Amino acid sequence: MEKKLLHVYPQRCTACRNCEIACSFAHPIDGKAGVARIKAFGDKEGRVGHNQIVVCMQCEDAACVSACPANALWRNPDTGAIYLLEERCIRCHSCVAACPFGNMRPQADEFPSKCDVCGGDPACVKFCPANALEYK
Amino acid sequence: MIELTIDGKRVQARKGEHLLAIARREGVEIPTLCHHEAVEPSGACRMCMVEVTRPDWEGWSKLVTACNFPAEEDLIVRTRTDKVMQTRKEILELLIARTPGSQLIAEMAREYGLDHPTLTVGELSEKCILCDICTRVCQNLVTGAISRINRGVEKEVNTPFAEVSDVCIGCLACAKSCPTDAIEFKQVGLERTIWGRTFDLVPCTQCGAPTLPKEQAEWLSERTGMKVEEYFVCVKCKAAQTARTYENIAW
Ligand code: SF4
Ligand code: FES
Repeated sequence: MEKKLLHVYPQRCTACRNCEIACSFAHPIDGKAGVARIKAFGDKEGRVGHNQIVVCMQCEDAACVSACPANALWRNPDTGAIYLLEERCIRCHSCVAACPFGNMRPQADEFPSKCDVCGGDPACVKFCPANALEYK
Repeated sequence: MIELTIDGKRVQARKGEHLLAIARREGVEIPTLCHHEAVEPSGACRMCMVEVTRPDWEGWSKLVTACNFPAEEDLIVRTRTDKVMQTRKEILELLIARTPGSQLIAEMAREYGLDHPTLTVGELSEKCILCDICTRVCQNLVTGAISRINRGVEKEVNTPFAEVSDVCIGCLACAKSCPTDAIEFKQVGLERTIWGRTFDLVPCTQCGAPTLPKEQAEWLSERTGMKVEEYFVCVKCKAAQTARTYENIAW
């Protein structure tokens, strides 16, 4: 079966940042909102169709995976997405330093956070009112 | 595949698989302190004690540490017998005597009915239970800057001869993986201090926010082939840079 991918359509993005909020609440820490793993950038000049969505691309040869000394980053065979196995993570934040795209985000005393497509049912997609995100 | 029994339930496992892993997979809770998935088990803390027997042992049983005890066919594992609970309680009594400063140990002790520990031998601020997670993490996964030094009651985790280490890269993995938060570090502005050494955090080349110690970047660069300078951009600036790159791509 073809694996689904998180598709972004920045042309449609209104930079309302609902995706960020959905993501935070989908990945809470101690019941509180966590760090969003997706980021919507509103165009500086406010031009329509020029906003940008930055989210993990689940790179084939991922910098985070090769940087991790603890083998804590794994590819989920069902979704094809890379996720962080917290039990193995030593929180050295090497992955955060290694990701060239800024998609591995630190969380103060916690484990770093990265997009895991919510295990195959991404919350951001459901909350985007502009259909700028699709999972297909 | 083999079959064994955990708390009355027949379960399947690979031969030699550790009991703790099997129990967790089956949803059976066993308390641990020195267990960390990133390193080999060491059996140091003894909290994961369970009682095992076999049909051919004629009623005899023994206590073993679940984290490193290999599964075998027909083993009968019981995780909450009186003997197990009593042993865990005694271990906690000793741990709390050593580490009056640890909140985690105090909480666990309370769970086992030790509301008023009677014995105290450690300094009131002591938190280290000598579980060796930090030293195993550092030695097996990072640069091997710390180990157990001294013997007997003097035993502690430190750099060799408790001197400033030139091997440490300041990654904080030891402190962050310590179950009792016993390893102190300080981070203020562009400085991070751990094990008596102060590291300069390289400022982000774009916004000046602290990134990571140069030593950690060099260590990473050696392992991954990325250039050292590539590590010196903070996450925010990297994400913004990504957005700009996208903007410049013709759709
Ligand atoms: S913080 Fe965790 S996942 Fe990231 S490199 Fe370190 S051990 Fe691996
Ligand atoms: S977890 Fe098994 S001895 Fe510590």
